[in-house]
Amino acid sequence: MSSLSLSARDTPDMADTPIDEARIRRLADLLLEVARTVDPELAASVPSNFEGDPRLEALRSVLLEHDRAAFARLQQKVDDPQEFAEAVSAVLASAFALAASRDERLASILAPTMERATQASIRTNPKTMVGILYPLMGPAISKSLAETLDGTLQGLNQAFKYSFSWQGLKWRLEAYRSGSTFADVVLKHTVVFRVEHVFLIHRKTGLLLEHVAAAEAASQDPHMVSGMLSAIQDFVRDSFSSAEGGRGGGIDSLRLGDLTIWCEEGPSAFLAAVIRGNPPESLHTQLRETLGHIHEDLHGPLEQFEGDSAILGDLSTRLGSCLQQQEQPKEERLSRWLWILPLVLVIAVVSWAVSRAVEESRVDAYVQLLRDQPGVVVTGAERRDGLWHVSGLRDPLATDPAELLAKANLAPDRVAGHWEPYQALNPAILLKRMEATLSPPTDVSLVIYGNTIRARGSAPQHWVEKARAFIAALPAGSPRIDLAELQDVQDPTFIALRQAIQAHIIPFDSGSPRPARDQEPRLDKIAEELAQLIKVARGLGFSVRVTIIGHADATGRDTSNLSLSAARAEVVRSMLRARGIAPDLLSVRSAGALEPLKPDATDEEKAINRSVTLTVSTTD
Amino acid sequence: MIQKKVCVLGSFGVGKTSLVRRYVQSMFSDAYLTTVGVKVDKKTLAVGSADVTLVLWDIAGEDDINAIRMTYVRGAGGYFLVADGTRPETLEIARSIQARVNTEVGAVPFLLLLNKADLQESWGLSREPVEALEAAGWTILRTSAKTGENVEEAFLELAKRMLS
Ligand SMILES: Nc1nc2c(ncn2[C@@H]2O[C@H](COP(=O)(O)OP(=O)(O)OP(=O)(O)O)[C@@H](O)[C@H]2O)c(=O)[nH]1
Ligand SMILES: [Mg+2]
Repeated sequence: MSSLSLSARDTPDMADTPIDEARIRRLADLLLEVARTVDPELAASVPSNFEGDPRLEALRSVLLEHDRAAFARLQQKVDDPQEFAEAVSAVLASAFALAASRDERLASILAPTMERATQASIRTNPKTMVGILYPLMGPAISKSLAETLDGTLQGLNQAFKYSFSWQGLKWRLEAYRSGSTFADVVLKHTVVFRVEHVFLIHRKTGLLLEHVAAAEAASQDPHMVSGMLSAIQDFVRDSFSSAEGGRGGGIDSLRLGDLTIWCEEGPSAFLAAVIRGNPPESLHTQLRETLGHIHEDLHGPLEQFEGDSAILGDLSTRLGSCLQQQEQPKEERLSRWLWILPLVLVIAVVSWAVSRAVEESRVDAYVQLLRDQPGVVVTGAERRDGLWHVSGLRDPLATDPAELLAKANLAPDRVAGHWEPYQALNPAILLKRMEATLSPPTDVSLVIYGNTIRARGSAPQHWVEKARAFIAALPAGSPRIDLAELQDVQDPTFIALRQAIQAHIIPFDSGSPRPARDQEPRLDKIAEELAQLIKVARGLGFSVRVTIIGHADATGRDTSNLSLSAARAEVVRSMLRARGIAPDLLSVRSAGALEPLKPDATDEEKAINRSVTLTVSTTD
Repeated sequence: MIQKKVCVLGSFGVGKTSLVRRYVQSMFSDAYLTTVGVKVDKKTLAVGSADVTLVLWDIAGEDDINAIRMTYVRGAGGYFLVADGTRPETLEIARSIQARVNTEVGAVPFLLLLNKADLQESWGLSREPVEALEAAGWTILRTSAKTGENVEEAFLELAKRMLS
């Protein structure tokens, strides 16, 4: 098959130079011989020109001996499949590594082959592949399910996003508080369930491998349940197997009234959970993981199982982790009330304590306020029978304690006052007392300087006299009352009238109790002036008294003079009375000769001393 | 504890359910309620010193339309073939079932029960086929769910064979 071509490159040099033909032939022969040595086929088809030339043969064997042996070894390696395989296997790994590092071609070349190999493997024995993949499939499915579920929950989240139901708001608040997503909270409240039984069932025989039940969960014989469940699975798998003859899946979920049965299938065994209520998707994960772990750890025993569960050991604790349950929210409501009750109590106690403290501080303020009041002495303040009692001494003229309650923000019915009356000597109270007792004229002002009350302004004589009497009646130790600055001011009409009346001297004849006859007009005048004076005084707020004083001259005996002067005064009184003057305003005094108006030396003087005079005094 | 799955197989109406009922509940009824699908029952018995729980799969009988589902037979530790002595054709059906079961689960212990032994006078079963089966190594028992004849014995025998 192989061809050999030899070509000598023509060089101009060669063409021009005369060639030694014999040398060229020899060279050609030599080259041909080399080619024959290298290619056995050529050796067979082209006869050697050196045949029979023992020298060349000898030379050849010397020159090429080594290469020949090496070549033979190589030839052997390539021709023998076993050896060739060995040789390739030594470098295969590095060759793959090299090829893979170079570019992507290796992967794309291998991929279809790998796929075909996998397909073939699955076709001939699916169980092997399932067995290989199961530990991976469990988590992979969990993961994809979790993602799907997450998507669903996000959808749910969206759906609830704009729902402003009371429940929705409450759950939102809860989600916010607990830091979980809203969807989680919704699930938590809507999913209420209890796993009552978990069966681990051998797939091939339908025999029960393990069974755990929640406390008080009623059940059929677990062996029979396991048999029936497995029969149902077989039936379903058989009936709905795919057209190509591959096995269909069994039942994932069965619903019987409010019982749900969830089945989780593994290669050798399946888990069935009997659940009351609405289980959460997380339970699926739990079942799947439990089954996955059992398969990982007990792969061999599960394959070999023929009815003796002793070879599997105790699986009840593993299955126990699937016995989950979700409490009714009812209980939560109860606990919420339990939580609120003490809170209410605490609030009540605290608010009571606070209000009491507030009230107490107000009472304190109130007592302080009372202490600042002149004429009030607080002797005690205490709380009794839920009421405050404040007691002490109080001058009747001091501020009414009840009026101060409002100032201290206290309700009148919260505080009862118990006050003993007393007379305070405090200047302020004394001033009040003065005002109450003396009712000073508007011109008079009373001012406190330290322990002294000073009266200022102008007041009528009669008021000043009253004030003096008041001061005189004060108990020892009282504040001083100073009237020195007070000016005596009287009504000019009153003064004029008083002067006029007091200026009158009614003369009498010697020894006669009756005024001289010509004195009638004077008496008329006196009566008229008196009437006016009384009227004026009444207008000024006081009344007047008139004392009629009878005089006599020193002639005669003293006793008769006294009676004579008394008689003279009485006569004037009755004469004035007869002229319309109220008799109770007129008093009579006899001075005899003891208060002579003149020295009583001359007759004129004696005549003046035989008389009646009038003095006006003021009373309230 | 040791458990074994035991299938009860045969033509329809041969008395499979009745045999299981007699064995598990010691009861019998003349009423015929055909089994739909499978009915699983169980009974624990003592074989020597060991306790064995037999999980009994009473499988709906085979008729012209429905062959026995082989999926139900998978994993069986042993099985009964039940034929009705009063209906000779049920023996042939039992034989055909056995062949199929054998390919599915292999050579596990089994017994052939010729049931309704209490009606032996009306049996139409000829001796030859029975003897042929015995010659082939089959163990054959005449039973009656009605009287309980050979019922306990049959179950005990199968249990022993499965444990040995
Ligand atoms: N006399 C008599 N009658 C029997 C006996 N066993 C079963 N029967 C009756 O035969 C009828 C069928 O019995 P089943 O036990 O329901 O038969 P089966 O094989 O379960 O039938 P399928 O479930 O339809 O396959 C019933 O009426 C039984 O009372 C027996 O030993 N003696
Ligand atoms: Mg039946």
